[in-house]
Amino acid sequence: MQLSLEHMEELLNFWGWPHNGTWELTLGSTQLAFNPKTLIMTWIVMILVALFGVLATRNMNMRKPQGAQNVLEMIWEFIRGLVNDNMDPKKGAALLSIVVTYLIFILFSNLIGLVPTLGSPTADYNTNLGLALFTFLLIFVFGIRYKGLGYFKHYVKPFALFLPINIIEDLAKPVTLTFRLYGNIYAGEVLIAVLLGLLGGWTHVFGGFLASVVWLAFSIFVGCIQAFIFTMLSIVYVSQAVGGEH
Amino acid sequence: MLEFNATILAQIVDFVILLIFLKLVVYKPLCKLLENRSEHVANNIAAAEQERQEAEQLKAGYEAEMRRAREKAQEIVEKATRASEDQALQIVSNAKNEAEKLKENALAGIEREKQKAVAELREQVATLSVLVAGKIINKTMSKDIQRSMINDFIKEAGELQ
Repeated sequence: MQLSLEHMEELLNFWGWPHNGTWELTLGSTQLAFNPKTLIMTWIVMILVALFGVLATRNMNMRKPQGAQNVLEMIWEFIRGLVNDNMDPKKGAALLSIVVTYLIFILFSNLIGLVPTLGSPTADYNTNLGLALFTFLLIFVFGIRYKGLGYFKHYVKPFALFLPINIIEDLAKPVTLTFRLYGNIYAGEVLIAVLLGLLGGWTHVFGGFLASVVWLAFSIFVGCIQAFIFTMLSIVYVSQAVGGEH
Repeated sequence: MLEFNATILAQIVDFVILLIFLKLVVYKPLCKLLENRSEHVANNIAAAEQERQEAEQLKAGYEAEMRRAREKAQEIVEKATRASEDQALQIVSNAKNEAEKLKENALAGIEREKQKAVAELREQVATLSVLVAGKIINKTMSKDIQRSMINDFIKEAGELQ
């Protein structure tokens, strides 16, 4: 019996995803490579999120929210509370829909990886870096929008000597966002595969099964927490750029 | 070790597509709904406040009216009591007057009758005594003696009364 993660993933590849290798696309002179599984899972997640959104907003009831509408409203109110706590509600209005989308998208992405044979888009650092770069971009967009070019003055505060430290601090933001999420979710997926594969067979069915269930439950928790942390940190970073002195 | 590739770009594009879709399809109606709801709640609160004020006003009005009615009722009762007392007094005094008058009339009548009776009695006594005297001394008396005797009698009878 060959005990390797690659072998296990190959065994779990029930749907026949193009597992290894990349999709290549040549645009002019530049070669673009894509991870096929990540993209496919992302599209599935997008469809699920869209379905959830449509389901939640279909037949909305103003007096008595029910089902998906209730869930969506709770998420919306929760994130709105966070945004309004951290920054001026007028400035936060534009940010709100973005961070709510962060939360829902990352949550769905994290949870879909818990289905064996499926994988999280967020278990690929490319996805996370994409989202983190989007946040990075948001920091500058909001900073410049509400402070003008004076936003860049904060790099030399309290005095010019702090310029490298401030730059490193800013660069660390997307990197930490990326790898915090990646590490948590990827580790969760690996352990799911390991528990399913390495402890297979009837003799180990209870040990493997129980450990797997416990780990799945914990992964749900981790998935929710990480989605929340990514959202929360994005809000905080943007509010730091928008807000007054800090 | 880490291999970054164009998946980053694809994921940003995917995210932006999802964001735009959700913003148009989900967040817009949701925001409108939440706005409507908060408006609805605010309206309800305002309406409740107004109704409460109106109710308070009504209550104050009713209370004032009730107080007024009670005062009026008291006034009426007082007036009636006073009137009845007056009337009773008047009735009593009327009755007293009437009784007084009746008594006076009765006394006057009695006096009159008495005078009349005395005068009659006097006359009769005189005549009677003369008759008796005449019978006793039998026609021996002169007219003068008779006359003076009658007068004496009358005088005596007059002193009797």
